[in-house]
Amino acid sequence: MSSAQDGFAELLAPYVLGALDEDDQREVDAHAASCDECRKELAELREMEAMLGTVPPEAFLDGPPDDADLLLQRTLRQVRDERTADRRRRSLTLGAAVAASAAAVFLGGYLAGGGSSDSQAAPAPPPTTTGAPVTATPPAGVRAVSATDPVTGARLTLRMTPAAGWVRLNAAVTGIPAGERCRLVVVDRSGHREVAGSWVVGRAPSGGGKGADLDGSAATAAQDIASVAVENDHGKTYVSASV
Amino acid sequence: MSQLRSRARQSTSDEALVRALYEEHGRALLAYATRLTGDRAAAEDVVQETLIRAWRHPEVLTNGKGSVRGWLLTVTRNIVTDRYRAKASRPTEVAEVSETAAAPSVQRDHAEQIVDSMVLMEALDQLSPDHRDVLVEIYYRGHTVTETAGRLGIPEGTVKSRAHYALKALREKYARRPGGTPARLQEVVV
Repeated sequence: MSSAQDGFAELLAPYVLGALDEDDQREVDAHAASCDECRKELAELREMEAMLGTVPPEAFLDGPPDDADLLLQRTLRQVRDERTADRRRRSLTLGAAVAASAAAVFLGGYLAGGGSSDSQAAPAPPPTTTGAPVTATPPAGVRAVSATDPVTGARLTLRMTPAAGWVRLNAAVTGIPAGERCRLVVVDRSGHREVAGSWVVGRAPSGGGKGADLDGSAATAAQDIASVAVENDHGKTYVSASV
Repeated sequence: MSQLRSRARQSTSDEALVRALYEEHGRALLAYATRLTGDRAAAEDVVQETLIRAWRHPEVLTNGKGSVRGWLLTVTRNIVTDRYRAKASRPTEVAEVSETAAAPSVQRDHAEQIVDSMVLMEALDQLSPDHRDVLVEIYYRGHTVTETAGRLGIPEGTVKSRAHYALKALREKYARRPGGTPARLQEVVV
């Protein structure tokens, strides 16, 4: 190989990567037209260049995201919730598991009492109201409510994050039989209903219904919400939480 | 309260793992998810699910930093893809993700993408920082040789030769990967 060839070799990758100025590009074009070795090299480099496209440019950012502490807290909460669910499957009493789940959901001790449903739930274990303030305080407007239905035994723990004219919901639902097709229904003060999501209750190893932790949203302004209910597909209400 | 404290101790290692992933990869994941979804709130949900899946598959995390990043990014993209594929806006039943796994063909796609991404990210991670920086400036940030030379404070000739050797080294590392998809990786495809 001539020394000119070596010089060209170093231009091939920048050429394939599209980083050469026009003069250098023309030089490579002219040379490759008459050099088999460089054409072969270019073809191989192009293959590698195509592979680079499978990695997004964001892959090279390091560190934690900005202003996303709530994301971390939500993720940690989910981890705690799922560990709780695991323990429940290992046949801890339902009551203790629900209480722990409730404690984990009420970030920052943001407990906005359970409303009338909760106060009627005398037979059920009392919800833990000593939620340890283990995390940052949620932003203003985030509300948490919970309710246990004394008849069905279903429990709904809800966290509502207001958006512009609508609302994001995170719901933990326990105590519903396996196989039930459920809906999370948001009811506003004029009685209008929005379905924020639906799911089918899974079967726990014990044979009962699995608890579900789900995220949903509804086109209802947070301040207009009167209640949030869990219903099955026949309209049976398992539990309703007054907001 | 004592019960809560003991629970807190039990979950320390889980939480530490999630925190560590967030601290190291959170910026990359959230930026990527935000670009894909065009919606910061949706992106945060996607990143949350990505971190949860990683927590459920700690075996993935024993690989090098590069392939962990590759795995996480691909999972992020797959979650976005699946959500658009599913069209209907339904809640994510996080307790049962494994039961609502996508169709087999989709899973196969995902498996190949994940392995490609992991291998490539690992190879990129093994480049010397000098070589990688040049590649990132030129390929991923779209800068010319002249611009890259200015940004990195090195001569243009050095930029060209580093870009060349970086790409060649990458190709060598990539070519040496074992053929096929290792069973261990397929198991962790989510």
